[in-house]
Amino acid sequence: MISSIVFINHKGEILIYRVYKDDITRSETTQFCAKIVATKENKECPIINIDGTSFIHITIKDIVVLATTKVNVNVAMTLQFLYQLVKVCRAYFGGEFDENCIKKHFVLIYEILDEVMDYGVPQIADADLLKKYIQEGGLKPELMNDVEKLKQLTSQATGATSWRPPNLVYRKNEVYLDVIESVNVLMSVKGTILKADVAGSIQVKCLLSGMPECKFGMNDKLLMQREPRKPGQTTTDKGITIDDLKFHQCVKLPKFDKERAITFIPPDGQFELMTYRITENINLPFKIMPVYNELGKNKLEIRVKIKSIFEKNLFATNLAIKIPVPKNTANVSTNSAIGKAKHEPDQQGVIWRIKKYPGDFEALLRCEIDLGQTTNQQPWIKPPISMEFQVPMFTASGLRVRFLRIYEKAGYKPTKWIRYITKAGEYLHRL
Amino acid sequence: MAYFGNNPQRGELQELYADLNDLNFEKKKEAVKKVIAYMTVGKDVSDLFQSVIKCLEFNDIEMKKLIYLYIVNYSRQKPDDAIMVIQNFRKDVRKSENPLVRALAIRTFGCLRVPKLNEYLIEPLKDCIQDDDPYVRKTAVLCVPKVYEVSPEICPALLELLQKLLEKESNALVLANLIQSMREIEVVSGKQLINLNQKIIQKLLLAVDECIEWGQIFILDYLATYNPQDSKQAEIIIERTLPRLSHINPTVTFCAVKVILKYLDFLDNGELVKNLCKKVAPSLISLLSWNQPEVQYTILRNISLILQKFPILFENDVKVFFCSINEPYYIKYEKLDIMVRICDSKNFGQVLNELLIYLNEADPHFVRKTIKSIGKIAITYDKALDKAVSILVELAKNIQQPTEPVQELLIQMQLIYKKNKQMYKHDESLKIIYSIVDYANEPESKSACAWILGEFGEFIPKSVEKMKEYVDNFQMEDRLVQLQLLTSAVQLYLKYPSQCATLIQQLITSAKDSFNPDVRDRTYIYWRLLSTDPEVVKNLVCFNSGTFSNFSKDLRLWETQDLVVALENMGSISNLFHKLPHQLYKNIKIKINNQQNVKIYKGEEKPDTQAQDQQDENNQNNKKELQQQSQQQQLQDVDLLNFDEPSNNNNNNNNNNNNNNNNNNNNNNNNNNNKTDLFELI
Repeated sequence: MISSIVFINHKGEILIYRVYKDDITRSETTQFCAKIVATKENKECPIINIDGTSFIHITIKDIVVLATTKVNVNVAMTLQFLYQLVKVCRAYFGGEFDENCIKKHFVLIYEILDEVMDYGVPQIADADLLKKYIQEGGLKPELMNDVEKLKQLTSQATGATSWRPPNLVYRKNEVYLDVIESVNVLMSVKGTILKADVAGSIQVKCLLSGMPECKFGMNDKLLMQREPRKPGQTTTDKGITIDDLKFHQCVKLPKFDKERAITFIPPDGQFELMTYRITENINLPFKIMPVYNELGKNKLEIRVKIKSIFEKNLFATNLAIKIPVPKNTANVSTNSAIGKAKHEPDQQGVIWRIKKYPGDFEALLRCEIDLGQTTNQQPWIKPPISMEFQVPMFTASGLRVRFLRIYEKAGYKPTKWIRYITKAGEYLHRL
Repeated sequence: MAYFGNNPQRGELQELYADLNDLNFEKKKEAVKKVIAYMTVGKDVSDLFQSVIKCLEFNDIEMKKLIYLYIVNYSRQKPDDAIMVIQNFRKDVRKSENPLVRALAIRTFGCLRVPKLNEYLIEPLKDCIQDDDPYVRKTAVLCVPKVYEVSPEICPALLELLQKLLEKESNALVLANLIQSMREIEVVSGKQLINLNQKIIQKLLLAVDECIEWGQIFILDYLATYNPQDSKQAEIIIERTLPRLSHINPTVTFCAVKVILKYLDFLDNGELVKNLCKKVAPSLISLLSWNQPEVQYTILRNISLILQKFPILFENDVKVFFCSINEPYYIKYEKLDIMVRICDSKNFGQVLNELLIYLNEADPHFVRKTIKSIGKIAITYDKALDKAVSILVELAKNIQQPTEPVQELLIQMQLIYKKNKQMYKHDESLKIIYSIVDYANEPESKSACAWILGEFGEFIPKSVEKMKEYVDNFQMEDRLVQLQLLTSAVQLYLKYPSQCATLIQQLITSAKDSFNPDVRDRTYIYWRLLSTDPEVVKNLVCFNSGTFSNFSKDLRLWETQDLVVALENMGSISNLFHKLPHQLYKNIKIKINNQQNVKIYKGEEKPDTQAQDQQDENNQNNKKELQQQSQQQQLQDVDLLNFDEPSNNNNNNNNNNNNNNNNNNNNNNNNNNNKTDLFELI
């Protein structure tokens, strides 16, 4: 499988070098560092083949994380493993992953590398689990000598519920749910929707005792059709169509496949329960209406009207609308009733920021752009207008959580909290 | 940070040596850390071997791990010193009550990779394979291929043990490692080790539900190489694999897709096949918009394969391949490539509209590829021709500089004119294209301009003057341009004999002494022919075929008979480079596809459009012209849900195909120099 794992900085220097199989020499790796990393060629393709050795790599900020191999490995798995490795490191270093902390914690990283991969085959790489038996500065001697505890640990690590340790106790049992949706839209010049989808994610923070079994329900059309109607109940909510769902490893997938029921024993603390993708009946929270005029040779006018299309009692926050302007822009005068608009040359655009924006509301921005002289004869290629925003208590897909039932032997009644938020993903309107 | 930096000077090694032998434990530990840091930056610290292993006497697990790392790195350089550690390993494996220590010892022991040490390893390893603790077992199981690689002769007993374990093991994680380990040994030994039976398959399917994500991948990857015995078995395996489509790890999903797609061939229920395709498609589409570009890239590189065998999966879904503005270019290139492949007589308008937008991108390479894609679509789909030419002509109107995209524009226009000469009238394309010929600065684009000049000389004002300009610079041109200039000048001469007389004389004088034999030969042939019988030359260079019929629709990447093997290896490195495993790796045996025919899964055909008819007609002509070649390919593309059986000796036919094309090239004479480009990947 994988021959070695290497961490490299942007100058092409090796920070961590762990060999799993000796079919690879160090000089092959240094060659890769000198030729590819130092020349930034690694940005061009995630897999590079040099004389029969494949260099599979990802770049996290300035650090290149590299896996080398001489055999026909599953590339998708290798890449995924590298991402997982970075995630584990971040979990140990409090979210950081840079040259400094790699150098500072190199002993720990070697320990992690020894555990997450054996003979080039990926092994247990779950940060919470690893923290149970790999700690900076070594484990407490009490644990090392307590055979019973160790047995419990290895059986959890290799068992079917490896993500949850047994015997957790919380005085107050609580669950927090966050439904986070990002809307991706691409609108044509005329305002027709070319592409629209919602990428959603449900984040859970779970503070529960024991081994709770949870059952989770949304207004998923396919699920609601299966449920028997209660007599006398007339519901207009038919549910929404979800194109695709992906679940955390704790969710019992066969059960979902058969009954479309989402059941799981949750990990402790924060985790992503599921992600989903929706393309039908999306409620776009904002409409963008731009007008572009060329007023003579050195003057442009761009007017942008935005309209919020959600209920009046809701508010969007932190709006930022980026209106692109040509490179040779000399001066921009803006005029709008709300928010602040400013020409930001490093962004090559006018950024219109509005802190709080009510529902069902229209606002207009007028930009007059004076152009400087330029030698470049090419006509200006207009990038799209982009938009950032957050709308709390609103879902673009219309998704609603209907229930979260929790069963535990102890029979406690947990407190449940839920939040919805819709954010802009790639929210674009061509100009 | 303090550990990195300076090179170990002689003095520093001595200092380390002193620290390692110090009585103070903390000092020792710091020294060991420094040794590892030096090792990381690539300095040779093997001289300290003895001092380092002496530190093993402390019962500190962090230090132990570091020392083991050191030993693994240098054991082969110092085999005699390494023997001294063996006792330590054996003690750890046999005596320690701590499963973590047992596993650590056996894991490191396996990595020593010194043949003469391995015999000491066999007994402890056997113990570990039968250990009570699954954590130790999963580690021990992976230790066997390590030993096998170095000393296969001492392993038979171990292999037997593995086979026994496969029968009785119940822990999912151990099973997954076991499968992976046995597969590694199979690759090294070339012999089959895993004997699958119904019971083991059941066990593996059960393990998929229970083990960690990587384990699921090992098992699914392995199942993808298995050929089910009958439709029933295939159905069961597919049914058990389906839930994996909802796993959050994209590789697990992708492997599940692979298993399902592979097993579809074995199902005899057409309705079920259709339903399964409906289930697989959305999962696959989610993977395409995965937020890790590298992963997205690997999936995209496999799409052409899926498209070729399962066109049904992406019906009506060309939109998912549209590029977004912030994607890395390697993703955009892949998407562009796929958009051309997925384009058909129904959705070409949508695709062309999207490509039109990409022409505004900043990156010249990307724009160039976009132009190439537009040209390719124009040439492949008759219906798209008008629209594509309009787009390219519109682009040509705004050109003011000899940029890279301009070169491609000229090349593509030449190809389009070759396919359909009448296109020169469309939107005054000839006039506009001719106005930018001065921007050509690559051999290929220059030769395209020369071709246009010769072919359309009569419609271009002052074409003779322009040709004169070219001929004046003849010596400086690339061979490709020279060859084309010869043909084009002769063409022009035949159209305007009196005006071109001196021109052709000048050309022949400068070309006949060329260093290049091709150029020389061609000059002489034209010279002789012109002086004996100009009519013959006319037939040779000015043929008015109207449209070319043999611009075939072949956008396929894979040979049809390779599809099944390629599918089994979906996600692997070889597939990423669009090759079969044995083409990339010499030690992999050629896997012969023993299925007699390859099924292609298309959606239901809607009533044929006119273009389709025309296409078919063209193909009919083709067949006559090129005899048997295209017949087989046509058959392969026939609607799959009816399970038509294509013939299986494609190989021959493909060869014929190539030969025929070559012959054709020669017959149609030199004008077709660039034609083979059509079959290249963009």
